[in-house]
Amino acid sequence: MARSIWKGPFVDAYVLKKAEKSRESGRNEVIKIWSRRSTILPQFVGLTFGVYNGHKHVPVNVSEDMIGQKFGEYSPTRTYYGHAADKKAKRK
Amino acid sequence: MTEPRVCVGAIGGAFGVMGEVRLKSFCADPQAIADYAPLTTEDGATRFDLRITRAIAQGFAARLSGVTTKEQADALKGVSLFAERDQLPSLPDDEFYHADLIGLAVLDTGGASLGAVKAVHDHGAGDLLEVLGPNMRASVLIPFTKACVPTVDLATGRVIVDPPEGLFE
Repeated sequence: MARSIWKGPFVDAYVLKKAEKSRESGRNEVIKIWSRRSTILPQFVGLTFGVYNGHKHVPVNVSEDMIGQKFGEYSPTRTYYGHAADKKAKRK
Repeated sequence: MTEPRVCVGAIGGAFGVMGEVRLKSFCADPQAIADYAPLTTEDGATRFDLRITRAIAQGFAARLSGVTTKEQADALKGVSLFAERDQLPSLPDDEFYHADLIGLAVLDTGGASLGAVKAVHDHGAGDLLEVLGPNMRASVLIPFTKACVPTVDLATGRVIVDPPEGLFE
């Protein structure tokens, strides 16, 4: 069952506080968070979060199309290396 | 710095009794493995022309030149297939093959060595370089952006990174 709309999106309070503090400071920093369950809100766009995966903080650059997802979706808890083959990486 | 050959697939054994092989592709577009033929074994001693005949569970059935019987196909089980790096199509600016990035030396903006690129990941929020240094207990992930990785110099085999605060702690 989906979450009731009247409750609004769930975000741990400390994530909101850290994000606000980082935005005010304007520094280029990774905001370390452990809350994988928090929803990505519009005010997080442009910030970089370090989302804990049980081992390390995975940098997540928040963009507009990530709004509404949870932070944990971008920080997998299992590592898979695979083969490089012809896979490409784009520098944005 | 770039390896002259890249592993693009592996043979999983025989498919049927007519000399076809089970082919596992490691390419981003699995069918693209046929475009990189002829493929070689790891030691480069044997070359195969490749023709994909059909898609099967977990890969393709394919015909390799010089392989006509099930026994020959079975003998190739587990063999990795390599393509020449030059056969990969050239990419536009700011796009790089993982194979080219892996192994590059990583320097900070002051010129100090931080380690080397161990792997490239994409978890859905942009590409990440996994950097492992000689004095580091665990690897560090750096966003592969122009802000964090201002310079990628494949000719000299190095990348210069300007990581955000708190990443190397």
